[in-house]
Amino acid sequence: MSKQQDNILTVDGLSISYGSFNAVQNVSFSVRRGEIFGLLGPNGAGKTSTLSAVEGLLKPQAGTILVDGNNAVSKPLHARASLGVQLQSTSFQPELFVIEVLQLYAGVYGVPASKADLMGILREINLEDSAMKKFGELSGGQQQRVSLVIATIHNPKLVLLDEPTTGLDPQSRRQLWERIEAIRERGHAVLLTTHSMEEAESVCDRIAIIDHGRVIAVDTPQGMIDKHRDDPEVIAVSRRGRITLEDVFIALTGKAIRS
Amino acid sequence: METSIPKISTVLKTLLRADFTTQWRNRRAVVLTLIVPVVILALWKVFVEKMGGPFVLSNSITIGLVATGLMGYSNSIARDRDKGIFQRLRVAPLPSWTIMGSRIIVQIVMILLITTFVFIIGKQYDGITLTPLAYVLTYFTALVGGVVYLSIGQMIVGRIQNPETVNSASRFIYFIFIMSGMLGEMYINEVGKTIHDIIVWSPYGTVKTILAAGMEPAKWNNNASMALLATLGYTVVCTTLGIKWFKWNTK
Ligand SMILES: Nc1ncnc2c1ncn2[C@@H]1O[C@H](COP(=O)(O)OP(=O)(O)OP(=O)(O)O)[C@@H](O)[C@H]1O
Ligand SMILES: [Mg+2]
Repeated sequence: MSKQQDNILTVDGLSISYGSFNAVQNVSFSVRRGEIFGLLGPNGAGKTSTLSAVEGLLKPQAGTILVDGNNAVSKPLHARASLGVQLQSTSFQPELFVIEVLQLYAGVYGVPASKADLMGILREINLEDSAMKKFGELSGGQQQRVSLVIATIHNPKLVLLDEPTTGLDPQSRRQLWERIEAIRERGHAVLLTTHSMEEAESVCDRIAIIDHGRVIAVDTPQGMIDKHRDDPEVIAVSRRGRITLEDVFIALTGKAIRS
Repeated sequence: METSIPKISTVLKTLLRADFTTQWRNRRAVVLTLIVPVVILALWKVFVEKMGGPFVLSNSITIGLVATGLMGYSNSIARDRDKGIFQRLRVAPLPSWTIMGSRIIVQIVMILLITTFVFIIGKQYDGITLTPLAYVLTYFTALVGGVVYLSIGQMIVGRIQNPETVNSASRFIYFIFIMSGMLGEMYINEVGKTIHDIIVWSPYGTVKTILAAGMEPAKWNNNASMALLATLGYTVVCTTLGIKWFKWNTK
């Protein structure tokens, strides 16, 4: 297998601007098949913008994006067919019942699914009893579970998750990570963003740190820690006696809070 | 595992099912849009003798079409865009036009339903009947008229992002149309010729003209043809601008 085929996603020289503001500048990274890849960065770093370009929601000013070999700009439908997506803020038609939302997305992804199949999917996430509730009537964690099964309803080769654990209780978080790891076990890849360095450290195979629209480091979490453990900035912010990914992250991106 | 793009027919069928379900669950709002047309049929019963059935029917249908196309359509699009519902659909492997296409088909069915509803009430309550040809022609002119209001609705959601502003803007235009329709017609002498002409050649007036003309095919004249052309012209302009300005997200 060539290197290109090893990668389910290749982002090369990506630049995105909103008006005159350059949100993403010359970003390059790739996600390998079967890995969990974390995109980390402070608020406003450009994570969601990068994902939006991969999803085809916005046209980049420059750069190439290949999803399973399909150019996201010139062959958007092919690229999106390999993608499962959970947006940072997802909403479904508030008039529809949960089961109908599932039916809608099974349909638009071309997955033949009977009502019984869909009930089976809901059973797997312990929401069988909520089939006839409206999406808005679910709790945040329940909504999150529904939007994750929708993201994976067509068994996509690459799943994009934008801050999937935000707002979840410890139980739901744990369960979510198990689901994400199950995707990896099926040989599929996950590209996610999170603000939890602890989670990224324990779950991600590789991470990229992005700041002010630029990638400043790509490595395994351990590799990144090892590489920077002797930096004076890292030692200065370290608080627990041992160096964590969070220490490296703060040292690399600075202590200031972002607007 | 093979990655394949779902068939357009499957996608459209699925979207249509969801959009019709949504419309059905909002049926109370739809009933509200029928109130003014019914009020016209009720209050204007006295005019049937003097002005003729087509006059009353065409006003009633026009108001119904304005309510559904201009207000119902634009508000639902503005809301769904603001909630990010379109963005979630657009990351699926479907062409964007199918999302709007499905919405428009639902609206076209609404146009036909409203027209049928006014026909029925008009016959039952006001005793207005048309010839079979006139009914067929009126369905056609109602479609043409309904679509011009959809295109104006599209222009509103193209220009305005905020759902509340879309709501007030569409209400405002609806109000203007009702007022001009009711008053302009009744008080031709008082409003003066210029204002009267503006009303007659506005998208309100032209739709009313073609509807009324379609109800009496024998009387279809040059004026009606001009009104039809004007309606189509408004549709082309508003659709073009509405699509050109339209953004799928509010951010
Ligand atoms: N539609 C838009 N118009 C203008 N500016 C935007 C738009 N979307 C994002 N931005 C700006 O681009 C920058 C990157 O935003 P983005 O949403 O990609 O950040 P992020 O890394 O996902 O942040 P967070 O962790 O807060 O979700 C920010 O400065 C943001 O203000
Ligand atoms: Mg974000």
